[in-house]
Amino acid sequence: LRFSLTAPLCLLTLLLLPLSLGAPISPAEPISQAYSLALYMQKNTSTLLQTYLQYQGSPFSDPGFSAPELQLSSLPPAAVSFKTWHALDDGERLGHAQGAFLALTQHLQLVGDDQRDLNPGSPILLAQLGAARLRAQGLLGNMAAIMTALGLPIPPEEDTLGVVAFGASAFERKCRGYVVTREYGHWTDRAVRDLALLKAKYPG
Amino acid sequence: MMNISLRLRRPSRMVDGKRMRMTSSFQWLLLTFILLYLMNQVNSQKRGAPRDLKCITNNLQVWDCSWKAPSGAGHGTIYEVCIESRSHSCYQSEKTNAKIPALLPGDHEITINRLYDFGNPISKFTLNEKNVSLIPDTPEILNLSADFSTSTLHLKWNDRGSIFPRHLNVIWEVKILRKENTEIIKLVTHNTTVNGKDTVHHWSWASDMPLECTTHSVAIRCYVDDPHFSGRKEWSDWSPLKNISWSPDSQTKVFPQDKVILVGSDITFCCVTQEKVLSAQIGQTNCPLIHLDGENVAIKIHNISVSANSGTNVVFTTEDNIFGTVIFAGYPPDIPQKLNCETYDLKEIICTWNPGRPTALVGPRNTSYTLFESFSGKYVKFKRVEAPTNESYQLFFQMRPNQEIYNFTLNARNPLGRSESTILVNITEKVYPRIPTSIKVKDINSTAVILSWHLPGNFAKIKLLCQIEINKTNSVQERNITIRGVENSSYLVAVDQLNPYTVYTFRIRCSAETFWKWSKWSNEKKYLTTEAIPSKGPDTWREWSSDGKNLIIYWKPLPINEANGKILSYNVSCSLDEETQSLSEIPDPQHKAELQLDKNDYIISVVAKNSVGSSPPSKIASMEIPNDDLKVEQAVGMGNGILLTWNYDPSMTCDYVIKWCNSSRAEPCLMDWKKVPSNSTEAVIESDQFRPGVRYNFFLYGCRNQGYQLLRSIIGYIEELAPIVAPNFTVEDTSADSILVRWEDIPVEELRGFLRGYLFYFEKGERDTSKIRGLESGRSDIKVKNITDLSQKTLRIADLQGKTSYHLVLRAYTDGGMGPEKSMFVVTKENSVGLIIAILIPVAVAVIVGVVTSILCYRKREWIKETFYPDIPNPENCKALQFQKSVCEGNSALKTLEMNPCTPNNVEVLETRSAVPKIEDTEIISPIAERPEESSDAEPENHVVVSYCPPVIEEEIPNPGVDEAGGTSQVIYIDVQSMYQPQAKPEEEQESDPVGGAGYKPQMHLPITSTVEDLAADADLDKTAGYRPQANVNAWNLVSPDSPRSTDSNSEIVSFGSPCSINSRQFLIPPKDEDSPKSNGGGWSFTNFFQNKPND
Repeated sequence: LRFSLTAPLCLLTLLLLPLSLGAPISPAEPISQAYSLALYMQKNTSTLLQTYLQYQGSPFSDPGFSAPELQLSSLPPAAVSFKTWHALDDGERLGHAQGAFLALTQHLQLVGDDQRDLNPGSPILLAQLGAARLRAQGLLGNMAAIMTALGLPIPPEEDTLGVVAFGASAFERKCRGYVVTREYGHWTDRAVRDLALLKAKYPG
Repeated sequence: MMNISLRLRRPSRMVDGKRMRMTSSFQWLLLTFILLYLMNQVNSQKRGAPRDLKCITNNLQVWDCSWKAPSGAGHGTIYEVCIESRSHSCYQSEKTNAKIPALLPGDHEITINRLYDFGNPISKFTLNEKNVSLIPDTPEILNLSADFSTSTLHLKWNDRGSIFPRHLNVIWEVKILRKENTEIIKLVTHNTTVNGKDTVHHWSWASDMPLECTTHSVAIRCYVDDPHFSGRKEWSDWSPLKNISWSPDSQTKVFPQDKVILVGSDITFCCVTQEKVLSAQIGQTNCPLIHLDGENVAIKIHNISVSANSGTNVVFTTEDNIFGTVIFAGYPPDIPQKLNCETYDLKEIICTWNPGRPTALVGPRNTSYTLFESFSGKYVKFKRVEAPTNESYQLFFQMRPNQEIYNFTLNARNPLGRSESTILVNITEKVYPRIPTSIKVKDINSTAVILSWHLPGNFAKIKLLCQIEINKTNSVQERNITIRGVENSSYLVAVDQLNPYTVYTFRIRCSAETFWKWSKWSNEKKYLTTEAIPSKGPDTWREWSSDGKNLIIYWKPLPINEANGKILSYNVSCSLDEETQSLSEIPDPQHKAELQLDKNDYIISVVAKNSVGSSPPSKIASMEIPNDDLKVEQAVGMGNGILLTWNYDPSMTCDYVIKWCNSSRAEPCLMDWKKVPSNSTEAVIESDQFRPGVRYNFFLYGCRNQGYQLLRSIIGYIEELAPIVAPNFTVEDTSADSILVRWEDIPVEELRGFLRGYLFYFEKGERDTSKIRGLESGRSDIKVKNITDLSQKTLRIADLQGKTSYHLVLRAYTDGGMGPEKSMFVVTKENSVGLIIAILIPVAVAVIVGVVTSILCYRKREWIKETFYPDIPNPENCKALQFQKSVCEGNSALKTLEMNPCTPNNVEVLETRSAVPKIEDTEIISPIAERPEESSDAEPENHVVVSYCPPVIEEEIPNPGVDEAGGTSQVIYIDVQSMYQPQAKPEEEQESDPVGGAGYKPQMHLPITSTVEDLAADADLDKTAGYRPQANVNAWNLVSPDSPRSTDSNSEIVSFGSPCSINSRQFLIPPKDEDSPKSNGGGWSFTNFFQNKPND
């Protein structure tokens, strides 16, 4: 647990360094670093989702639980047709991912708060949610570095949650958390593909 | 009642009418009359007087009476209603009803007539309160509101009590309908009173189903229950329905949301939706759907079980979505357990408790605690812990100045309920001080110190009880002190009765004087007290050097409790006749001094000095009082020490001194000494230096007039051990029957105990053999001699055998055990006389025997010749011809062959026999039998020629079988040999020897088939290789068939036939001369032979 917490922190600081220092010349290095981080994140997404569901009780914790119909309007879905995805240019692709992970970091924070109420005695779940949020933030930083390297404009941070977050019922919060952890996995998968494409495009 | 009275009155009215008409048209025909009468009747009812008076009241003050108007009465008719019985009050009304004030109980006559319409009859009624109905006005619901969060309906209405003249009980009935007003789900009554004022009543009802689920409608009616009213009392009409419904937005919702309920209760969930709900489940359990308005559905859960932390999910599934809610089933807070309040410092009170049974509710639903103090009215709230635990909870409460008694109430509250626990404490009795810190020690003097410490808290109002643990090497002491508490937390106390120059370890714990709890022990503080002058002089002894010129003064270092500091040096001085001479100052580690003194009686004094001062002197006289009567005694200790005792001697005034020394050391020898008071008569000498098996010398000195006299000299052992070596021994002398052995003493060091004797073992034995055998096995061949006379140094062992090796073993023993053994092998000298005798006697005997024999032989030479070498051998003497007793039993003498009775004849035995006598065949074809014949038979004929004698049978009953068998040839062959082989069994022969014999086969065969008998037969055959008479054994044996087969007892055998052979014409000597010929009488003859002894 400690490892999973500290490792992305290290990566984050490492990868944010070039950003803060100024303009990197080649996009290959941040792409590679972002790709590594995304791959690392990909390994933990299903664990996060399973851990999350396990703590929500039946039917969430039932084996094979899936509710694709649940969506969050504040969170862009990762599912996209291949054609559409393929037609995206680098800027759009990175922009989508950037927007999604920005929303995900905020949502993961929200889910963490929700779970602090619902499952206060579950440090494992809370830690995993926190770790996921930090990784998403790390990936955001990496993407910003790539965009800087590619000379793309970095979209401004915006509040994706707005005021809708408050006053949700416990069931809504459980569902919300499910959608967020699920979409976190989907977006990580998509980010791996995005970054693999970019990596191929800008070999180091 | 009213109706009845009306009916009663009516006939009279009708009679009146009839009479009236009869007077006006009396002439009418009876039939017409009847018809008319009937018509009149009808007409008069229609257009006649008002009828059917009915009165009701809704307020008990005014009766509203109504009647049916007569037929002719049209619009504008005015009725006059008069109450006759009273003061004839009349009321006019344009309608067919009139409001009259309530009448008193009892019958009242009421007349109703139409004004200005004369000719119409006046209706008269009798009205009684009993005929009046009390029907309250239909109530009206003022307000119906709903609290959706609690699923509660709130109903509000006005009882309009002002219209009633007095206090009355009113019963209200409320009905609640669901499912578009088709299903009454609740009908409740609600009792109130009216008191002449309009009062708004409230009534609330919690629905088991969330109000959002479906429309709820409510109506109300009432019933006035006035006991004084004797008329009919009826329910009012139902008020109009009032509805409560939830106006759903477009979203589907499940109700109730996030509700916290008690475990085990029942609850209904519903899904308000526009879509069709397919299924519903709580947790993992599917539930049957209850259909409500529209697509709304509900499920009912009975006896809900406890939820997990995140609650129990209830999920409704539609075609393409899921909706749900979370329910938190838990318990109300348990009564806080073990509530306890105490203080560490009299500044702050800490209350602890145990939450008791878990509520299964966490997060915002968790139990919140409030600690309320009733005297001060202050309270503190418990901050919610993230994860509930069963461990102790605690809250801090700031103490109020000048308040000692606190009455705490701990309130526990969660969404399901509340509980509380109270405690009343006098806080000064609940002081649990913190751990004392900053312990410091300061000297007062060498036996007292000041101890100071810091105890946080303001204890100015109480006294503290503190415990000081004073720890010295090997001893722990606790001292309790009571001190007044101070505000500044600093405490100090003097600790006395300590030892100088001693390391102490102090630690402190405190409590309030009214004891509640000790604080934890403080850290330890080590402290060394200061030095004081040594309290005693050193223990002193003196020895004269071996040359007697120098006196050596010994002293022991002072024990730490007497030294009272570090001893730096010793001062030794000697005085003679009041004249003191300080000799030297000896630094500490040295504990002896050597003084050159003459033989004067000096007093030596030794003083120990430390940094503070000198000890009192220890004095000892240099001279020793002689003692002539001194013996050396022996003593053995007890393993760790040795006990010395002596008789009380009153002349010994100072003390006794026992000094001791290892006896093997050279003089002057002093290991240690011990002083005992003069009144004691024994001393146990113990020393770490004592070793078992080592000899020590102990000297007991008595002291009189400062002079010491040696009283006893003792050698002793702490513990005796077995000798470590064997005594050296040699053989001084050896003779043929004795050995003289001499041994040497064992040195004292190796003896390791007082010698008690020697054991001498000897036994016959060579060097190699006897070594292995142990001496202790108590073998009888070992001889032991125990030599207890310690002065004996030789031993003669006598009565030994000459020229024999002896094994000699010698060992010494003490009370500690046997020493090792030393062994030696000695061969005794040869005994020459015996040897000579041993040779001579046999030689002499041999010679004498030879001589005697020779003489005898010479004397009897004729007889010898006659006997052994006769010129003509006497057949009688022919031993070879003697038969056994068995053979010739009964014969008086054996004679040479007598041929007379037996005319030898040659019989040719041809093969013309019957098949019967196979017995013989089987026998005679035996190859063994043939061989001797072939070798011995000189006759060339093929046919066997046998000699035969006609059987002479006397008295015997011949065996018929034999007769038959032998019948053909009438020849019986008797085998001499077979007489010795009676075991042969004929039956077996026949079976096992099936070879058909071709004619007669002579002599030798012993038909033995039995394997056991084979061996015997073989042996016999060997012995008797030679002639075998040709007779079947059967023939003999069958004579007495009953006789046992083993016919060793020859007496049973009757022999037939010739035992001689024609071929040899000689009897063969039986194989073994079992019976001496004597019994046979010496001679042998056929007659004798055939003379048989009696059959039995």
